[in-house]
Amino acid sequence: MNYWRWIVTDLLAIVRDKAIALTLFGGVLFYSVLYPLPYIHQVATEQAVVVVDLDNSSLSRQMIRYADANAQVAIVARANSVTEAKAMIDRDEAKGILLIPEGFRRDLLRGKQVTLGFAGDASYFLIYSAVVRGLTTAGLDVSGQIQLQGLLAHGVLPAAAAKQVAPIALNDVPVFNQGLGYPGYVVPGLFLLILHQTLFIGMGILGAGQWRQTGYWQQFSPLTTVCLRVASFTLLYAFFSAFYIGWCFYAYDVGRQASLSQVLLLMLPYLLATAAAGMAFSTLFNRRDLPTQVMLLTSMPILFVGGFVWPLTLIPEPLIWLSQLVPAIPGMMAMLELNQMGADWQQIMPQWLQLWGLCVGYLLLAVWGVRRRQQALSAT
Amino acid sequence: MRALLRRELRLLKQDNWQLALISYIPLLGFMLLWWLFSAGLPRQLPVAVVDQDHSSVSRMLERSLDASPVNQVISFTSQSEAIAAMRQGDVFAMVTFPYGLRRELLLGQQPQIDIRYNGQFLLVGKLLSSQLSLSLADGLRKLSRQSLIAHGVPAKLVAPHIEPMTTQTTALFNRNTNYVGFLVPPILVALWQLLAMLIFANALNKELKPERWQQSYQVGWWPIIAAKSLIYLPILLLHGQFMLALLYGYLGLPAAQLLWLLPVQLCLLLSVGLWVATIFFLLADSARVISFCTALFAPAFAYMGITFPTAEMPELAKLWRLLMPSSHYMEAQISLVSYGNVALMWQQCAGMAGFLLLLLPAMLLAYKRRPQNVAAGVGEPTS
Repeated sequence: MNYWRWIVTDLLAIVRDKAIALTLFGGVLFYSVLYPLPYIHQVATEQAVVVVDLDNSSLSRQMIRYADANAQVAIVARANSVTEAKAMIDRDEAKGILLIPEGFRRDLLRGKQVTLGFAGDASYFLIYSAVVRGLTTAGLDVSGQIQLQGLLAHGVLPAAAAKQVAPIALNDVPVFNQGLGYPGYVVPGLFLLILHQTLFIGMGILGAGQWRQTGYWQQFSPLTTVCLRVASFTLLYAFFSAFYIGWCFYAYDVGRQASLSQVLLLMLPYLLATAAAGMAFSTLFNRRDLPTQVMLLTSMPILFVGGFVWPLTLIPEPLIWLSQLVPAIPGMMAMLELNQMGADWQQIMPQWLQLWGLCVGYLLLAVWGVRRRQQALSAT
Repeated sequence: MRALLRRELRLLKQDNWQLALISYIPLLGFMLLWWLFSAGLPRQLPVAVVDQDHSSVSRMLERSLDASPVNQVISFTSQSEAIAAMRQGDVFAMVTFPYGLRRELLLGQQPQIDIRYNGQFLLVGKLLSSQLSLSLADGLRKLSRQSLIAHGVPAKLVAPHIEPMTTQTTALFNRNTNYVGFLVPPILVALWQLLAMLIFANALNKELKPERWQQSYQVGWWPIIAAKSLIYLPILLLHGQFMLALLYGYLGLPAAQLLWLLPVQLCLLLSVGLWVATIFFLLADSARVISFCTALFAPAFAYMGITFPTAEMPELAKLWRLLMPSSHYMEAQISLVSYGNVALMWQQCAGMAGFLLLLLPAMLLAYKRRPQNVAAGVGEPTS
């Protein structure tokens, strides 16, 4: 058997093994739809808000209309008291409260400061931020208009009045994920992690099924065996990666700022390091049902320690050091910087070199593991 | 029954992984995920400030940015350096004070301050965007105050002049908008559900050895599953209670009510058990059962509706989330912990009754898989 035939045999073993095929082909396809599915409407809009209007004046009604006109807020009901509004929140009929105090219009006309009350259900942060943002914008609009009217009444020219209301303009713009959409935030990192985890599982199940039986995996020296299997999985995952990064990123309209050659250059050590680590990991298993369980339990910690869901500056240092051993960590960050945030190649060089380092390190571990497996089998 | 229980315990003792799953892995997992988010309130997030004006006004605004506990100002001399730092994720936002800021302000020409925040790191970006506006507004208020007083407005009237309307914002059920209270409970519930799924699947997979498979049909599946449940359900409930004790006891997150969560947790575990049993009889292969259950339960967190609201999900996702026991559980938990509304909790919990329908396919599949040489009647799962 030459090298090519070995790789073909290996790929056939993957396809014919139902458990592996289910995880690799089924999993990769299934997850590409299932994970982004809840998020495809991008942002939270029209959150239900209940109004407590204690003033019942023209100005309070204007405030309510402004709030309702905001895309993030929908006024669904009026309550007569805060207690009543609170009861609606407790019955899950509304997510936020807008309280307009008694004497709202009167105080404003008399030039006294008034305070509007906002409340949002902070059990859900996206809802809370939408409610607060929507109500704040509406409040600022009404407030600006009152200021403007006051200034005009005092004889200030309209053009000057507008500038007096806001002496400095704040131009507040999000960058990279400009719509602040949820898929753009979650998908890029998550998809790389899915590739990482399924590759580990595939290698693990394949190895666990083979180590204790004679077979084609004993034919070559451990180093050659490891290299060949890494090659066969990298080949397979080149197609999966092309589907994820090439097709899905377009389909979900995730930021794509890097050039094709840069992405290829980054994915090469990423897949090699992941495959080498997966090979080393697979030599630890005898039972075919274990690799999936281990990878399933590690998925969430790896995702959250990756630094894009929760900022790295807030994660305890020891966890960050430990996580650097996982190929997905430098891989996800490098991909985000390069492809979503448009960094130069120079800027992701540290992660790129780290991936190569991990690749070499895990390759040695894998060779050691396979040698032990071959010796253990020949000893029996 | 006692013999079955003893057999189950013997099987458990031989399986190191299952022992780990019921003992230290949940504890480690819960603690690890909590530790990751333990900072809770984002503080000292790096923000690039490019001061091209170098005036008293720009310095004052920079100081007021730095005064906020959320921002940590890092000064950059050139915009290109700040952009590079943004692209590398070293800073999460960038504020530019343009050349001529003070001059234009004094001339009443409305200068513009540029704020760019990282939308890729959505959570940090949104937080910084509102914090930066707040702290800049605070600095600007100082300027307006001075100019108004200089124009002869009485000090008492200055505040309503600058800001006729103020707002008071209350974050209900999570007063200081602590991310531990928001993120950690659903994450731990997702992990707990995965653990329950794995423990049930491993326990059932024990019966797949050819000799045991036949035996199981002779004894009947009901007593076998009952024995397994008697051992694993209390252990998993203990994990669930440990989770609640960690969150609402030790960490002291606000909770209106906790008592009724025990039966809801039991409902979640039973629903997960029904799912696992159905898949077990469908595939009857240890690695495939685990793979399939994993595919089903791994994305549960995304479907809970905590991070992204349920109402905004497409119809298909709304249907899919009904298949996840954790989405029902999490809604019940919020009804109880946040709202203290027991009736609503039972209403949410009742959604899990639908999982009883899984009994039908499970029993049918179990019947179909009966070994041929076992006499009919003995092999029926209903025996």
